[in-house]
Amino acid sequence: MEDFLQMVASGVVIGGIYALIAMGFVVIYKATGVINFATGELMMLGAFFCFTGMTAAKFPFAAALLAAAMGAAALGALVERVVLRPLMGKATISVIMVTIGLSSIFKGAAQLVWSGDYRAFPPIFPRAPVRLGSVVLPSLQFYPFLIALASCALIALLFRFTRTGTAMRATADDPLAAFSMGIDIRRVFSLSWSLAAVTAALSGVVIGTMGGISPQLGAIGLKVFPVVILGGLDSIGGALLGGFLMGILENLAGGYLDPLVGGGIKEVAPFLVLVAILMVRPYGLFGTREIERL
Amino acid sequence: MRIGDYKETYAADEAIFRTPAVRVWMGALGATMLVFPFVAGDYLLYLANLIGVMIIGALGLNILTGFTGQISLGHAVFVGVGSYAAAIGATRLGLPFYLCIPLGGAAACVAGTVIGVPSLRVKGLYLAIATLSAQVILEWVFSNWDSVTGGIRGINVPPATLSGVSLNTDFRVYFLIYAVTAAFTYFARNLFRTRVGRAFIAIRDRDISAELMGINLFRYKILSFMVSSFYAGVAGAVWVYFAKVVTPEYFPLSLSIQFLAIVIVGGLGSIQGTILGAIFMTLVPELLKAGTEAVKPFFPDAMSYLFPLRDILFGALIVGFLIFEPHGLAEMWQRVKRYFALWPFRS
Amino acid sequence: MRRRKWIVAATGITAALALAAAGALAADDVIKIGACQPITGRFAFAGVSINAGLQDYINYANENGLVKGKKLVYIYEDTGYDTDKAVATFKKIMAKDNPVIMYGDSTGLGKAIAPELNSRYKVLYGSTSFSSELADPKIHPYSFVSGPTYSDQFGILLEYIAKNHKGKGNPKVAFFYSDTEFGKDPIPYARKRAKELGIDVVSEIVTKVGAVDVTTEALALKKTQPDFCIFQGYVLAPIPQVIRTVRDYGLKTTFMGTFWSMDKSIIDKLGADAEGYMGVSPYAYYNEDAPGIQSMRKYNEKANPKEKSRPNSYIQGWFTGMVYVEAINKVLAAKKPVTGDNLKDAIGMIRDWDTGGVTGKVTFVNNKAAVGRVYRANVVKGIFEPVSDWIYVK
Repeated sequence: MEDFLQMVASGVVIGGIYALIAMGFVVIYKATGVINFATGELMMLGAFFCFTGMTAAKFPFAAALLAAAMGAAALGALVERVVLRPLMGKATISVIMVTIGLSSIFKGAAQLVWSGDYRAFPPIFPRAPVRLGSVVLPSLQFYPFLIALASCALIALLFRFTRTGTAMRATADDPLAAFSMGIDIRRVFSLSWSLAAVTAALSGVVIGTMGGISPQLGAIGLKVFPVVILGGLDSIGGALLGGFLMGILENLAGGYLDPLVGGGIKEVAPFLVLVAILMVRPYGLFGTREIERL
Repeated sequence: MRIGDYKETYAADEAIFRTPAVRVWMGALGATMLVFPFVAGDYLLYLANLIGVMIIGALGLNILTGFTGQISLGHAVFVGVGSYAAAIGATRLGLPFYLCIPLGGAAACVAGTVIGVPSLRVKGLYLAIATLSAQVILEWVFSNWDSVTGGIRGINVPPATLSGVSLNTDFRVYFLIYAVTAAFTYFARNLFRTRVGRAFIAIRDRDISAELMGINLFRYKILSFMVSSFYAGVAGAVWVYFAKVVTPEYFPLSLSIQFLAIVIVGGLGSIQGTILGAIFMTLVPELLKAGTEAVKPFFPDAMSYLFPLRDILFGALIVGFLIFEPHGLAEMWQRVKRYFALWPFRS
Repeated sequence: MRRRKWIVAATGITAALALAAAGALAADDVIKIGACQPITGRFAFAGVSINAGLQDYINYANENGLVKGKKLVYIYEDTGYDTDKAVATFKKIMAKDNPVIMYGDSTGLGKAIAPELNSRYKVLYGSTSFSSELADPKIHPYSFVSGPTYSDQFGILLEYIAKNHKGKGNPKVAFFYSDTEFGKDPIPYARKRAKELGIDVVSEIVTKVGAVDVTTEALALKKTQPDFCIFQGYVLAPIPQVIRTVRDYGLKTTFMGTFWSMDKSIIDKLGADAEGYMGVSPYAYYNEDAPGIQSMRKYNEKANPKEKSRPNSYIQGWFTGMVYVEAINKVLAAKKPVTGDNLKDAIGMIRDWDTGGVTGKVTFVNNKAAVGRVYRANVVKGIFEPVSDWIYVK
């Protein structure tokens, strides 16, 4: 039982991180209908920005994190303006491929600037693990989890209570109606991409503190797909819940099924779940059913 | 622009090679390709073989994505299924290559059906995500199903033998690869003169209208996916006789993305474009390599920048073509032809 | 028009002359060594060092005239640690420069190129790989392993465990490896050897390389409480996380690694948690005082004064260079032409070769030189210290 609780607790912790990544992804999808395959690479760049802030500019962690977020926001806006704006209205495959092309460019650029070496953040958090009853949470998981949780909360509040957030939600629901109400759609698109880049950067830093940074860090971005399918492609609440559920599920699968299958099932389980969901309930827990109107 | 070009029969009108000029050029192309292996160096032959395999795979993807409008992100693992099926056929069942290649295609076709059936029921991007899952899951299966796939070690495959002659050099395999490539290109070109092909195009253009006209969307989408997977499987099987070893490392997500890049850069919905795209995307990294070697005396470290530069160039090509030349190389080629055809008038 | 014809003709003649001159230079006094190195990609930091080590030793050999009357030329290209690209690079170098010796970046390349290496290329082939498969002279007659195979290394560690285990009952060991060729290679042999030595393998844990969350794996260790846990198939990640998490759970397991997990940088990354980390290395470390290592340091002081320390991957490259030169010299001493076939036979003739302490006395049997030493981390000094003598595996 103790093991089960441990696995669930760790699953919640990593799930929080998945939730943060998924939120950024859903923000873009909701606002612009674009599936962003460059999520992983944006995470990787965010982690590198923060790392450079701490090592080259010698900022303390909080300042470096803020700098990384600002850098990511600028990058997101730039990407939207230069690459996505020309493709507005074109076929979906084009937009998907453009994000894939971007991810390739980011990966190459990161390798040029920071070399392929694997880096570790300088020690940021206290070394001692956190104990909750019988459950032990390593410090390198717990504190990043807090950061992820805080970020998710911040974004949710942003959407709910600020004018900008309302504008973004309105645009996501019905761009034409929002436009006719006087909302500057282009600015909203820009903001959505900036926000997505910022969430990616934050989650990248979190993953970086847990496992180190390298240009290959982006590979974990693929995990966002099972999460958003589970939660619903266009639901932010779904992204949150989906993230936590996926984290717990992954850990339980790893803990109970690994001995049977010979290992590595943690990577595959989320995708098996994804296929199952596609078969049973394609729109996920909270996604809206797409109704095609002629 | 063709003048004096009139047809007297329907067959003549529907023919693939319509004018004498086209037939002559095709003949010249065929002759060049027959002569090529005799004059090309080792490394060029290797590249040519690689391009041939990529053409077959990319044609399959173009049928699915360019002609039917469905996005697949898992093409590489279907190639993988074909490879493994052919390898198992060759090593464990002792089948000759002309049976193993269709076997690879059939195995991939079955895999495609299994993935396609649940995900094609729902419109939208779900096929893309389902094929992405297939990519991850099948890659895992390749590495872990030791008893069938040989796990991490993979399977070593003996070279194909044709009436006693072993196709164990790049020179000999070239003929096998290009025979298959030519056949499958011809088939693809033919496909779009038939009812089935036109149904695919209708689905891509406006699927609601297609449905209203009586085309069973689900059935034709599945058919398209099956054909596409068959091509992928054949590409994998042919590749096995080229590389003579199959391991799980050969079918990562980046290969799926490479196929997509070929199809997009070449031109969605154009057979010619796929061929141009395959040649282009395989040769561009080589040019880059030659470039870095040329600047080595000035920048001794240039070599270590090659691969990151390659990634950047790859991404930039995709982004560039999508923004500036959405119809790909095929369109550029048509423009060039038009310019010469209409010269000295402006096109 | 006429001028253009002259320009074309002049260019053609110059080109022809240049080619002829180049051809004349590429005479018998040059021995070419080609290499496919993983300078970028997943193995990048090791690849850069391996390349530096091999290149440096070749320069060192040329400077000190270690091969009488011949100059060694080193040609290398990046493979990005991708088997497809590695094969292409191999063929390209062979086609362009036709070296007699090649170096490969991975086990994958070694296996993929084997059929053509044996039938067509026939060059001496060394590589980064310590895979036991490459050490099979029947399938890979032209390859050799620069030291003990992973199976041999596991054997050395298991013997050390059997000998030094304190406490009641059989020692309990866990195998923690990655789901790659690199990770799985020695495991079947390791299971067999453990049984022979009376060691209980209480769990086998497999992960993807670079896994981020290792909770379930650490829990599996917590459940089985092994005395020792051996890593295989990782260079750095996720070893630090696993060790840290397991210590958080209060386990006192001793962690061990094989060659690629035994670089000094692990001590730096782990900090205090590196206490007790052990492993096997076929080579001495850069900070040791063996004469062979001292010449390595002296060379670097002159050629690369900025590098204060070199990782063990550098020594792998350097040592492989030493093997190449030793093989070349044996062939030349027997007055035979320097071809791949003669070189591979020469490897088999290397017996009790004194490498100046870079490693133990080298004898190649079945394409490998199964000798290594057990080291333990000294956290205070930040280095690995030997806790055993050179062990020769039969």
